[in-house]
Amino acid sequence: MKPKSPLLLRVARLVTVFALLAAPLAAMPSEGDATNLKTVDQDVQALKKQLIDLNRDLFKLEEELLYPASTQVAVFLSVDVGTFFALDSVTLKVDDKEVANYLYTEREVQALHRGGVQKLYLGNLKTGSHEIVAFFTGKGPHDRDYRRGTTLKLDKTVGAKYVELRISDREASLQPEFVVRQWE
Amino acid sequence: MRQRSSTARLYALCIVLVLGAAAAWTAHADEPARDAPPPTKIRDLDYGDVLFHFFQDDYFESIVRLEANRDFNRLSHHAAEADLLSGGLYLSLGLHTEAERIFDRLLAGPVAPSVRDRARFYLARIGYQRGYYEAALRNLGLIGQPLAGKLEPERRLLEANVLMSLGRYGEAAQRLESWSDTSGWSSYARFNLGVALVRAGDTARGRQFLEQVGTMPASNEEQASLRDRANLALGFALLQQQGSDDPAAVLSRVRLDGPFTNKALLALGWAEANANHPERALVPWLELQQRTILDASVQESLIAVPYAYVKLASNGQATQQYRAAVDAYTRESRRIDESIAAIRQGGFLDSILTAVPKSDRPGWFWQLETLPDAPHTRYLYHLMASHEFQEGLKNYRDLRLMQANLARWTDSLEAFGAMIEARELAATQREPHRQEVLAGTDLDALAQRQQELTDRFAQVEASREVAALASPQERSQWEVLARIDATLASMPAGPQRDEFTERARLLRGALSWELDRAYKVRATQTRRDLKQTRSALAEAGTRLAAIGEAGDLVPQNTQGFAGRVDNLSERVARITPLLDATALAQERALADIAVGELQAQQKRLGSYSTQAQFALASLYDGASGGGGK
Repeated sequence: MKPKSPLLLRVARLVTVFALLAAPLAAMPSEGDATNLKTVDQDVQALKKQLIDLNRDLFKLEEELLYPASTQVAVFLSVDVGTFFALDSVTLKVDDKEVANYLYTEREVQALHRGGVQKLYLGNLKTGSHEIVAFFTGKGPHDRDYRRGTTLKLDKTVGAKYVELRISDREASLQPEFVVRQWE
Repeated sequence: MRQRSSTARLYALCIVLVLGAAAAWTAHADEPARDAPPPTKIRDLDYGDVLFHFFQDDYFESIVRLEANRDFNRLSHHAAEADLLSGGLYLSLGLHTEAERIFDRLLAGPVAPSVRDRARFYLARIGYQRGYYEAALRNLGLIGQPLAGKLEPERRLLEANVLMSLGRYGEAAQRLESWSDTSGWSSYARFNLGVALVRAGDTARGRQFLEQVGTMPASNEEQASLRDRANLALGFALLQQQGSDDPAAVLSRVRLDGPFTNKALLALGWAEANANHPERALVPWLELQQRTILDASVQESLIAVPYAYVKLASNGQATQQYRAAVDAYTRESRRIDESIAAIRQGGFLDSILTAVPKSDRPGWFWQLETLPDAPHTRYLYHLMASHEFQEGLKNYRDLRLMQANLARWTDSLEAFGAMIEARELAATQREPHRQEVLAGTDLDALAQRQQELTDRFAQVEASREVAALASPQERSQWEVLARIDATLASMPAGPQRDEFTERARLLRGALSWELDRAYKVRATQTRRDLKQTRSALAEAGTRLAAIGEAGDLVPQNTQGFAGRVDNLSERVARITPLLDATALAQERALADIAVGELQAQQKRLGSYSTQAQFALASLYDGASGGGGK
């Protein structure tokens, strides 16, 4: 670079230096600011741990208080492969009473496909026999609207009862399959 | 990118750091929990529930459920996986010490080699993030088998980054040169290597790698952005070198609508100016001049343009442009004063967060493309690029979420307290009736009566006493016949008595025949009835015991729950003000940084303004002396 005057040469060099260094240096917190941030960060992390422990204990209290093991019934939903069915919503009825009606987001569906299991319903039931009915709504093969139901006769004894609603693929018929089963 | 301790040093050291960071890392790489564990067959439904939240990047909910379900002993089939996952979750939430403790504990126990390797990988990452590079390298070296899924390329990238952080560029280069995969991860590795080599003075080899990344096809924004960074880094390196290679060609590869466009345009202008092509330098600089003055490159273009005019001997235009620049700098400096005042008033972080998508996804801060155009946010784009500010902002957001979380629990705890009181009241109201039932039920007497009946039936069966099983009507008929017999006995003998006696005999015979005929069925029924009575008696005993036990436990249960509610309420009450104070401290710390950044910008504007004024003076001087055009 050959500017016409020494002043311009100096200006040009200064400008270049600013161009190269100004943005990142400006974006860097000063040493004092960084130390302050680090201290706050440590406080935040300590608080987070306390809050996780607190939430854990609150979660346990809520469940034990509202859903004691003697009457507890939990209904989970899982998806195995699920290529023949795109889940939109699930309606759950216990003894002909609707207890859950869940509309899924894309993110939740992805989480199910990756192996997550949704705790769809947590409630209480007296000992004795009950009927659980689930209706699945979504898109079936060939992008057609699809609605299927599945039923389980449940004999509730003393102790928590787990029920799994499972959506899987029936390869032979290229159709989705909806299974409901009790866990011991 | 998380390079807490090394970032500052690197910034000061090397030209390529104009890009804002030395080693590129993918947007997801600094979120360990995103490294999904390999698909697992769920054997504990509650572990699946933990994964359901984890796969939605809801790490806080996931770790809370994991901890609670582990306490309930519901994750026994996935114990090691749950430990590994909890370590990753703590790491994602920034709790390094807790994560390290979990991974160390895992490694101390008997776990599967794959789990052990993953734990070592995470420990290596923690070491790298905290600046313990030797420890990180040691842990990486102990990994026995290739890791599953995307963890393996990430491990290789981490290894290269650790080696670079240790200054062992040659080894880093060797590892990366032998890495033949075509994943996005290798692009980051090549970029990092290029940067490292340039920094080590091996510009030729560094250029080779940066060229590879700078000319790669990009299928998504992340890759396109990395390609821009590589071209910008290489362009700056060539510009600095001032050799025979033309940086303009490299810089021209940077997209015109990306995050690095302004820097590239500025550098392109300087490349042309250096090559004595001021007329060509004007093209990118004039383009830059049209953009928002909030950007440092645009600010500089205001004096770069008149500089080019001077070189083109267009002193009139240069003078005009320098004057406009001085005015613009003054205006902007005043606006910065307003921004500083607005930030000092507080609340500026909340207004930034309203522009953030409600997502916990990593890299969310890059989505801050539309910062609210308010005095306190106008000049903070550069600040947003700094890791410290992003982390601080994220912390602030977490604190806000936690405040909302605690507010919800406070309401719930009040409801729980009311519920326990209601239960206690209901139990108290039920108590008299319960006591009445307990007192009025003599199970022993019932059991004795049941035994007597059983014994009596045994006798009936033994002697085939058919009349014992007679129906009430038959028993009445039998009694009538007995009375007839007594009457007949008192009658005088004669034909009438004989006739009546014969008729009574026939009736007794008919009744006996009927009793005998029905005996078998009646005996079976009686046996069944006695059995049912035994069962009913046993059930009554169980129920009575349950009523007794439940009633006795009510005070114990309610007191237990009430105690827990009180304890948790106290904890919430203790943490809430701490949370508020920490949020305030976080806001102040970030406000200090923001103000510092704004003051630095102001200083830079002042410097530009001074340069412009000097240049103007020189032009006036030349004009008055007749030496300039």
